[in-house]
Amino acid sequence: MKLFGDIEFFVVEAFRGVRRSGVMSLVAIGIVTVSLFIFGLFLLFMVNLGNMVAEMGTRLDIVAYVEKAVTPDEAAAITEKLSHITGVEKVRYVSREEAWRSFRDDFTQKLDLATIVGENPLPDSFAIKVRTPDILPKVAEAVAQYPEVDEVRYSGKLIKQIQTLIDALRLGGMVLVVLLFFATLLIVVNTIRLTVLARETDIYIMKLVGATRSFIRWPFVIEGVLIGVLGGLFGILILKPSYDAVTNRLQVGLPFLPLMTDKFTLNVIYLVVGISGMLLGMLGGYISVSRLLKEK
Amino acid sequence: MIEIKNVSKSYPNGVEALFDVNIHIGKEEFVFIVGPSGAGKTTLMKMLYREELPNSGTVIVDRINVTELLPEQVPYLRRAIGVVFQDYKLLPRRTVYENVAFALQVTGAARSQIRRHTMQALELVNMLKRASSFPEELSGGEKQRVCIARAIVNNPTLLLADEPTGNLDPTTSWEIMELLDKINRRNTTVLVSTHNKSIVDSMKRRVVQLEGGRIMRDQQLGSYNQV
Repeated sequence: MKLFGDIEFFVVEAFRGVRRSGVMSLVAIGIVTVSLFIFGLFLLFMVNLGNMVAEMGTRLDIVAYVEKAVTPDEAAAITEKLSHITGVEKVRYVSREEAWRSFRDDFTQKLDLATIVGENPLPDSFAIKVRTPDILPKVAEAVAQYPEVDEVRYSGKLIKQIQTLIDALRLGGMVLVVLLFFATLLIVVNTIRLTVLARETDIYIMKLVGATRSFIRWPFVIEGVLIGVLGGLFGILILKPSYDAVTNRLQVGLPFLPLMTDKFTLNVIYLVVGISGMLLGMLGGYISVSRLLKEK
Repeated sequence: MIEIKNVSKSYPNGVEALFDVNIHIGKEEFVFIVGPSGAGKTTLMKMLYREELPNSGTVIVDRINVTELLPEQVPYLRRAIGVVFQDYKLLPRRTVYENVAFALQVTGAARSQIRRHTMQALELVNMLKRASSFPEELSGGEKQRVCIARAIVNNPTLLLADEPTGNLDPTTSWEIMELLDKINRRNTTVLVSTHNKSIVDSMKRRVVQLEGGRIMRDQQLGSYNQV
């Protein structure tokens, strides 16, 4: 009963605060919305990059193409020879039929490539898995020495470059997110400070009659949560359809791009965005009233 | 009840508000603090509920050493002290009832208690009939009654009134002093700072006279001026 009365007091006071600084509250909600939208974009971007790298990692292979089709016996002999190169973990013979099938599986859902190209243009090949990415070039060179091998391809260098790029992007993104966080926090703090100033006498009286600091603080923290949660909600409401629209387009234009479409992961990201809004608001409310609560 | 020992206080702007002040006030006493503006009356009161801290010396209220209190303990000290201001400090958007109840609400009292104590306090100051009015609809004397009701609603052991009649006409001033006297007779220690000579002279209570931050006189059954 007592606790219920307190909570009712806090919430009523918080709503009074939001209403009292009406326009400024709307501005703050709008800025929280934009900030969290950008934050969400960053999270989605990073998740997708990570996804891409993971996908590429599974293709950490050297592919050795042979000039013409080989017989099963020849295939076994070449497999045996390639396996003896230092650093090679596993060699697998991929017939041209198999390669064509997996290629079509990758693409035909999205594009009708099979009918465009017509017959199978692919040669036989050997997929060579190496132990660590850094020895890829050496192994590739060794593989190329064999007369049976026509052409050697590997994507290690690209992966390494992409990884470096991602690290840079992640760092830059985090700096951006931190700056964004403080800028948004400042706006929220200043918005709620309007309520705090309008209620300076109330706060003075509360202190005078012996309200504890946390009691005085709660309405302002809740006011911050209201602003933060509304901002977060609007942020998600813009973020989700934007992401869905972009991924839909990309999937048609660049079908081989491994985009993150896992519902669960995406929902977790949206949840993180929403909770960030709430925490941002809470912190803003907490800070806004702190100066007035200092005791001598 | 109150023990002020060797208290000195100067403000950052260099003003020396109090200088080596010593006062002892017993339980249920009624004491006038007199002296010209700037003598240190308000500072003295603020020390008691710890809105100001002395630069040196100790302040003890109801066995609590105010000067050594941790910030988080301060609210509990203030619940034992009621404060009445010259400018009332009522909250304009709240009714008389809400203004008084507010003092209980923010200390987390139960709802049934809030109602009972608020009604009792309003009855004591004779403002029950104006319970649903807003402060702007009240006269100065009525506002001061509400302010007093708010100060006593949680049954403090000490009531401080800083020039409570400073904005009131003589008749109303008398009514307010009689009210403070009535509260004193209900076992509350009362400390009143005032400029009101006729009231001090006719009430014949203990008078502490401050001047330039020093105690010039501390006299039982005193008058406004030294005789």
